[in-house]
Amino acid sequence: MKKSLIYIEQNHFQNSMDLLEVVRQVYDAEEYETYGVSFGASCDEAEGLFDYLIEVPDQRIRSYDVINMTNVLEELQGFYHFDSILFPATQLGRMLAPRTAMRLHVGLVADVTAIRHKNGFVEMVRPAFSGKIMAGIVNRNRVPLMMSVRQNVFSYQGASQKQTEKIKYSPIRIEDRKIELIEVREKEKTRDIRESEILISGGGGTGRYFPKLKHLADELNAQVSASRKTVDSGTAPRSMQVGQSGKTVSTKLYMALGISGSLQHMEGLKNVENIVSVNTNRDAPICSRSDIVVEGDAEEFIERLTDKIKWEKQSRE
Amino acid sequence: MMNAENLLKNLRGMLPENQINTNPDDLYDAAADRYKKYAKARKVLDVPSPIAIVYPNSAEEVSRLLVFCNKNQVNVIPRGGKTATEGGLENWKKLTIVIDSENLNQIIKIDEYNMQATVQAGVPLQELEDELRKRGYTTGHSPQSKPVAKLGGLVATRSIGQFSTLYGGIEDMVVGLECVFPDGHISRIKNVSRRAGGPDIRHIAIGNEGTLCYITEVTVKLFRYFPENNKFYGYLLKDIETGISILREVMVNGYRPSVARVYSEEDARQHFYHFYKDKCVLLFMAEGNTSMVNATCNGIEEAVGRFSDGISEQVDSKLIEEWFNHLNWSQKDIDDEVEGMIENDSHAGFTTEISADWETIPKIYHNVINRIRNEYPRAHDLTMLGGHSSHSYINGTNMYFVYNYDIKCNPEDEMRIYHHPLQTIIVEETLILGGSMCHHHGIGKYRNEWTTEEHGSAYYMLEKLKTAFDPNGIMNFGTIFPQEEGTKYQK
Amino acid sequence: MKIMCLVKFTPDVENFIYDYEKNVLVRENVRMILNPDDASALAFALKIKNRRPETSIEIITMAPQSVIPHMEDLLRLKVDKATLISDKLYVGSDTYITSRILGKYLSSVAYDCILTGTGAMDGDTSHVPSQLGELLNICQMSNVVEIEEETFGSESAVIEVDEERNFAKYKICMPAILSLQKVRNYKLPYIKYEDLERNVKDQITIIDNETLGFESNQVGISGSLTQVSGTFVKIMEKKDKRVVRNDSEGINTVYQFLRDKGFV
Repeated sequence: MKKSLIYIEQNHFQNSMDLLEVVRQVYDAEEYETYGVSFGASCDEAEGLFDYLIEVPDQRIRSYDVINMTNVLEELQGFYHFDSILFPATQLGRMLAPRTAMRLHVGLVADVTAIRHKNGFVEMVRPAFSGKIMAGIVNRNRVPLMMSVRQNVFSYQGASQKQTEKIKYSPIRIEDRKIELIEVREKEKTRDIRESEILISGGGGTGRYFPKLKHLADELNAQVSASRKTVDSGTAPRSMQVGQSGKTVSTKLYMALGISGSLQHMEGLKNVENIVSVNTNRDAPICSRSDIVVEGDAEEFIERLTDKIKWEKQSRE
Repeated sequence: MMNAENLLKNLRGMLPENQINTNPDDLYDAAADRYKKYAKARKVLDVPSPIAIVYPNSAEEVSRLLVFCNKNQVNVIPRGGKTATEGGLENWKKLTIVIDSENLNQIIKIDEYNMQATVQAGVPLQELEDELRKRGYTTGHSPQSKPVAKLGGLVATRSIGQFSTLYGGIEDMVVGLECVFPDGHISRIKNVSRRAGGPDIRHIAIGNEGTLCYITEVTVKLFRYFPENNKFYGYLLKDIETGISILREVMVNGYRPSVARVYSEEDARQHFYHFYKDKCVLLFMAEGNTSMVNATCNGIEEAVGRFSDGISEQVDSKLIEEWFNHLNWSQKDIDDEVEGMIENDSHAGFTTEISADWETIPKIYHNVINRIRNEYPRAHDLTMLGGHSSHSYINGTNMYFVYNYDIKCNPEDEMRIYHHPLQTIIVEETLILGGSMCHHHGIGKYRNEWTTEEHGSAYYMLEKLKTAFDPNGIMNFGTIFPQEEGTKYQK
Repeated sequence: MKIMCLVKFTPDVENFIYDYEKNVLVRENVRMILNPDDASALAFALKIKNRRPETSIEIITMAPQSVIPHMEDLLRLKVDKATLISDKLYVGSDTYITSRILGKYLSSVAYDCILTGTGAMDGDTSHVPSQLGELLNICQMSNVVEIEEETFGSESAVIEVDEERNFAKYKICMPAILSLQKVRNYKLPYIKYEDLERNVKDQITIIDNETLGFESNQVGISGSLTQVSGTFVKIMEKKDKRVVRNDSEGINTVYQFLRDKGFV
């Protein structure tokens, strides 16, 4: 019987649960039981999913105090002898996993996105070089097998029908805390177009109705940006300008409305993943770099797509 | 002894207050041109600002100013539309005034019957051109700087336009002119169709870059304008040599397309990324009356046919036409680049233009590219290095090297780390093979270290002109003629 | 105050070229650059030194000797000392072994703070800073976006951390390992023109295994606890441009595209 421990991070509950799918893939047909460990508040939502849930209700351990959390994980490993320990690759998980691995003298694989079996070994697949290369990594026979798992890649579909046994663990060794949380503040919705995931960008042709771009942007939780022509004409402020002399953006989606796409503009789009362009001229330079070209008037397009998104939202509710 | 205070006092004695500008921002702006555009935008210029910018209203006022400066060893920088790129407007002297042609802004006469127009030096080319187009004429002159540049500056720098293959450079267009020398003498060269009255003295003023005289008025030729006849051609080529061979074929057969250009792959990407397919681009525009356009089109097609092996495909002429309609940069482009340089560690790049005969141009091109790639220590910072030929003649053509780079140094060091070493390689390779290091931007202050090499034994003539017309060396110190004192700004 | 800056030189990933026909990433002739997160860390250190000239900065990297020219360029930015940990035996070490090697050196020297980047462009495991924290028994924090300069140098520093949805402010005991994110306000300065060719050779110390004394089977590939079993390139497809009309069918295509990509 294999034993696997999953670190459950309260703030990333679903991601932590999805690690059960990774455990399933690691052990395949072998028999195994799952342990979850959480610090601070108890996590009743996980009941039924795990065989065991370990809670550490000690007030002295804050859920960001990685040193003391490592101490606890070391003690748990001493008691239970897990065959594997998994962490969601969150800010905290990515600090806790390496410290724990070093403490336990075992190897660690970060940001796993796939599990494969190769010659009797578990091969953990992870991206390298900004995701341009994937690497398969195996662990050299040390126990436990440790990894952090990329968020939102695996999804656990198992039913919640286990008889979960809850364990309250009282740590033996707790050190003085060397770190104190002062405040947490939610990230403001940024005004900097460089930090937006989606940009709705208006070119010279959109001057007359530029404010309407905001309607579409709001539906997509996006920001509005502009080409140089729009800025030159005074329709948009310079801070919105995309291009060589403006800002270089790295959005996932760039919607170019009425932008012809001079090379200077395209220089600002070097890191953009997807481009949808709307243009009356289907031969405009930017069309050659677009995933979808909509041939036609951008003002109409804004209305139609905004309506479509709204309609789809309503019909799903 | 003349000092700044004295100088200003004297200027105020000669001109009313509204013709003298001592605004610190304007003086800083006048300290350098587009050569040091990045350092200027970042406010780290190392050259002194002039003491004042003055705006004379007449040739007589120019004359009085020059006499004063000549007597008192005050450096004079003549200035027009401020589009200089080689340091021609940069200031290397503490005691300097800029004479700006702003107020010399009258179109004096448009003479349709005799096909010539007379304007004062400060008339923007665009203004004259707009006026002429209304009447169905053109100057035929269209440099990229047309929306900003002024006639006096264009003549003083031996400017050339994008349609030069048909209309020629500015030297082919100037009929006559008026200019003022440091001793105050005003010369008027009369407007005639041609003459054999000794050497053509127009050429002492044309291209003098403000080092011999101040041009106050020019008369240029007019041409009939037939935009509705314009025809465009574009081709993707296997290599730049093929393009140059086709340009030559068209030219030696006697055809004069207004635009005839070939771009290297890298340069093509800058303008034609949406269709160039990693190939060189060849393009033509035929312009003029119907029979001329038809003949030119035939000539182009014939030449292209002869070299069809080197052509990978023809491009939709609409794409070329669209490019043509977005050719010029305006004051907005210049301002935008400045804003961009303040915000980002980058600018729109630099250029160096050279010329040589047909057989030499491809050699220079390859020698330059290879030497930069192999020798230039910051070659890895280059984001772009290529060129195009854009002005052809019966015996040769030009090469416009274009380059840009990630600026990985402090703004004040950019020139000596990037542009200058690159330009040095281009100039050296050109001079070794007997080409000219300056096809149309002038020598300015940053190519003066090669002026003697450029002219060889003929430098004698150039030097004599300087000593004869400007014996005290007050005219645009450091431009064209090398100066020991200026080397500290060059290194 | 003595600041240790742990840096790494990585291939310039952004300039990898993808060969669609052969389905491989062209890695030849790719230049090495200073890892961007590490550059922010060093930039902060230089900022402190600028304010308090008595500050001393040592950069440490583990790499082949070919990175020496890059280290020299960092020394020309007023860095006081550069330590290169380099030995043929160390080639192929995984993050666990790399941390042990670096840890052995770091535990032999005195310092007030260790600054480094959160992730490296090539491997991007972010393991080494945390593992060093464990080995040196000090705090470590990743994704630091700001360090309050006034507090830096006292017993504990106030730092701001990017925690995905939030920004969190912590007070952290020194010495600690602060792993910075690439941020705009900590930008590495350029070398002054006069310093471009400055000879800085005597500021570089090379440390090999003779000094650190690992058994050969404890380090490198043989000592590593994980092993790369294979690499492959994600199949990338050249984009197929679709042209649609501005009608309901076209809008549906765009909408479907947005959905497939998870934008709506």
